[in-house]
Amino acid sequence: MTSLPLSIPAASIVERLDACGVHKIVTVPDFVQLSVHDLIDQTPTFQVIRCADENQAIHVAGGLHIGGHRVAVLIQNQGLLNCLNSLRAIGLDAGLPMLLVIGQFGREFSNVGHDPALSRRRVVNLVEPVLDVMGIAHWRLDTPLQLSNIDAAIDACNQRQAPAALLIGHYTAWDPS
Amino acid sequence: MTLSTLEACKAIQEARADAIVISTMSAMQCMDQIDPDYPFGLSSVPLMGGAAGLGLGLALSCPDRKVIVLDGDASLLMELGVLATVAGMRPSNFYHFVFANGVQFNGGANLPVAGAGQVDFCAIALASGYAGAARFSQAGALRAEISACLSAPAPALIELDIAPTPPRFGPQLAQPEQGDARFERMGMEARRLMRALGTSR
Repeated sequence: MTSLPLSIPAASIVERLDACGVHKIVTVPDFVQLSVHDLIDQTPTFQVIRCADENQAIHVAGGLHIGGHRVAVLIQNQGLLNCLNSLRAIGLDAGLPMLLVIGQFGREFSNVGHDPALSRRRVVNLVEPVLDVMGIAHWRLDTPLQLSNIDAAIDACNQRQAPAALLIGHYTAWDPS
Repeated sequence: MTLSTLEACKAIQEARADAIVISTMSAMQCMDQIDPDYPFGLSSVPLMGGAAGLGLGLALSCPDRKVIVLDGDASLLMELGVLATVAGMRPSNFYHFVFANGVQFNGGANLPVAGAGQVDFCAIALASGYAGAARFSQAGALRAEISACLSAPAPALIELDIAPTPPRFGPQLAQPEQGDARFERMGMEARRLMRALGTSR
């Protein structure tokens, strides 16, 4: 049994989304980000749009962007693999930006902080190569030392007017109640 | 059934006022003939299954403006769960037309759609939580009722029993190359729509 790696506090993610004006959250719930979901649901500043699958999440995010909003799409790695064609059409061909916040579901604790390519699980080790093939910039968020990557991903999304991805490498921490 | 795609699109175009219209597949091709430069228009292309989700995002962003989605039966079947997604958000300005012609590649090859044309979209929409649903199979009835449909509680689904357009591809005519415009138009129309809505960044 591998020891539990240090987690990213949910508040660190939610606070940066709020500060950067990302208040529309389109989601198919992610097991990795349970504490982020919980905190967002408790914060009235955010509107959460719950989708039946990740293709719809990408479509809704595109509509929200056209409607003038900054949007984050909270999904898991399986969801990314599910919605590649929608991401191709909406994010790449149409050029509609959105921040993809993707939980690395199924990742071995021993791999956290290391290269996801070394994970034994395809659902983990395929994520970065797939994003690379699609030309979608991505940042890892494995430890609290990488918190600056949140702003880096949001900035890239806004400046490039293209999708950018933040890869949540481990279960986000619950804030003390 | 005696309702053609063109008749349905004309009726919708006459009743839409300044609504946002998101179209796909056959309806999109027809709207191209009727009013290709409509500033509040957006095409989900090449992307079957995307129109309703795009429309939901726009309906939530523009609550004071009606959003009309012109979906296809095969397209909606690809993302049938979107009915629950839409219903869950209760957009009171969302009008979801389904052009049910029972075929895929209408007017091209007319291949049978999943479900063999037996799917009751009105029933599924109501069971998913839509506020209303209606079905039309005659052009006159659609023209007579469309204004009422667009004033009824929403989200609402309007299923149109559309006569398929005869197929044109076969041994005598092969499919043409797909031009760049097909892959560029959604982005161009999105930026045009953003200018019209005043949401460009």
